[in-house]
Amino acid sequence: MSSKRSWVSSRHAVLVTLLLIWSLAPMIWQLISSFTSSEALVNGAIPFQNRWTLIHYRELLSSDPPFWRYLLNSTVVAGASTVLTLVLAVPAAYVLAQLPRRWRRGIRSGVMAAALFPYVLLFLALLELARNFHLGNSLFALALPYSALAMPLALLLLTAAFEGLPKDLDDAARLEGLTLRQRLRWVMLPLIAPASASTAILVFLFAWNEYPIALTWLSRSDLLTLPVAMARIAGSSIYSIPYGAYAAATVLGAIPLLLLVLLFQRQIVSGLTNGAIKG
Amino acid sequence: MTVLLALPALLLMAVVFGWPMLRYAWLSFHADSVLTGLVPIPNGGANWLRLLTDSRFWLDAGQTTRFAIVSVGLELILALAIALLLDQRWRGRSAVRALSLLPWALPTTMMALGWRWIFNTPYGPIEQVAEAAGFGPLNLLSTPAMTWIVTVLADVWKTTPFITLILLAGLQTIPEDLYAAFRLEGGSAFQALRRVTIPLLMPYILLSLLFRMAQAFGVFDLIQVLTGGGPAGSTESLALYAYLNGMRFLDFGYSATVMVGGFLLLTALILLGALLLRMTGALRAMQP
Repeated sequence: MSSKRSWVSSRHAVLVTLLLIWSLAPMIWQLISSFTSSEALVNGAIPFQNRWTLIHYRELLSSDPPFWRYLLNSTVVAGASTVLTLVLAVPAAYVLAQLPRRWRRGIRSGVMAAALFPYVLLFLALLELARNFHLGNSLFALALPYSALAMPLALLLLTAAFEGLPKDLDDAARLEGLTLRQRLRWVMLPLIAPASASTAILVFLFAWNEYPIALTWLSRSDLLTLPVAMARIAGSSIYSIPYGAYAAATVLGAIPLLLLVLLFQRQIVSGLTNGAIKG
Repeated sequence: MTVLLALPALLLMAVVFGWPMLRYAWLSFHADSVLTGLVPIPNGGANWLRLLTDSRFWLDAGQTTRFAIVSVGLELILALAIALLLDQRWRGRSAVRALSLLPWALPTTMMALGWRWIFNTPYGPIEQVAEAAGFGPLNLLSTPAMTWIVTVLADVWKTTPFITLILLAGLQTIPEDLYAAFRLEGGSAFQALRRVTIPLLMPYILLSLLFRMAQAFGVFDLIQVLTGGGPAGSTESLALYAYLNGMRFLDFGYSATVMVGGFLLLTALILLGALLLRMTGALRAMQP
């Protein structure tokens, strides 16, 4: 790697700075706007020391429903979807990994096709299902389509993880007299923990950010998830949007994700790359 | 019996992915709208005839394809540059990688709202700078050409990190010795990129292209919130058109037809792309 390290470092610093500006500038602009008073947002002549305010945050947290409600809703949906996906995908992946090679290839192509499918096209029929089975306006019911939509990625990641385990391991545990349940719980699960963690964080992020299904399944304003709440705010009017409050909403909405990305960077990266590549 | 363990997961997928397509295929041969009291009535191929002559559908299909090709193309170039930068070892690399991942992790609708403020005329920062530099108002969200550029930019900003990560994983599989050997033979850095890096990266490039093209073809969240399809329908995507047919015009039969039509178009595009790749021999690089 010596040649790579010997790269001119000043040119390097410039490129890294550009990358950071590109990635973060829009968020930083929102951050600044969120602390700027509504008058100062539209009047650059207001002197620097008079531009700042906390009113946007105060308004956001005292509105009805308060903004944290959307964060809570999104967390509930994302948490439920993550649990449901893992509960269904781990045993399924265990089985898929043991199928004869020919079958595995066929199922894998099917799963890959589903992973590629632009799922927004499904919303109309899913809405019908929600109506017929009274699944609308329920955060937990939303976990059903979400875990189905996240299932292809989960299966790709977890099947690859199971395939990576030595085959003798399962047989040895079986000979020891462990039941299937015990083997999964005490032998296999600890070994596929890294892949499960990657799957969990990606499913969580997907469910947290999902928009078209939530848009059509939820109508009660106290049940909206964050993406739908944001879009509803945006749809109010083009000309009279109180941008300060929305910048504050963007900042509050971004904080949980910023934390997740910083904490689980490794899992996200390995999940995304393995999901695409091993599939 | 253990095979049964896979059943719940596969069943759930079959219902959520499979049922809608069957339902749409059936609905696309029925009139099902406010006019029929939302009761499906068979209407032969009327929906499909309408689709064939629906200029808005074909306009949107063209716009969606153009959007997908241009934004994914830009993303690929930018992602390659960023991946090359992140592939090198330097202090703080992991923190920078995490921060550059942030755009991908944020909800699209949330940032679409943010972009509306950034591209606002006349108070947004871009307009302020343009104004100060004497370019006059750019009307970023009210002229078709500008709005289209802005939409592509927002999409590139959000999804480049995904391609970057895939390419980065690919770069890490290329042995350092190859570069050393190439340099020994007197090759420049640019030649190394063209003759070593890109050919070896090809499977990863194609993979990210496949994923991103499929996603970009279904673009919905960004456009619905950022532009609403406007101005004058100039940024409307197929998914948005299908959504409007269903949810605003309450014409479920035709909405289903638009979705099946869009899906068939996407499949045709992917097959066409694969065919082109096969003809140019690039697919041979797919075998690792």
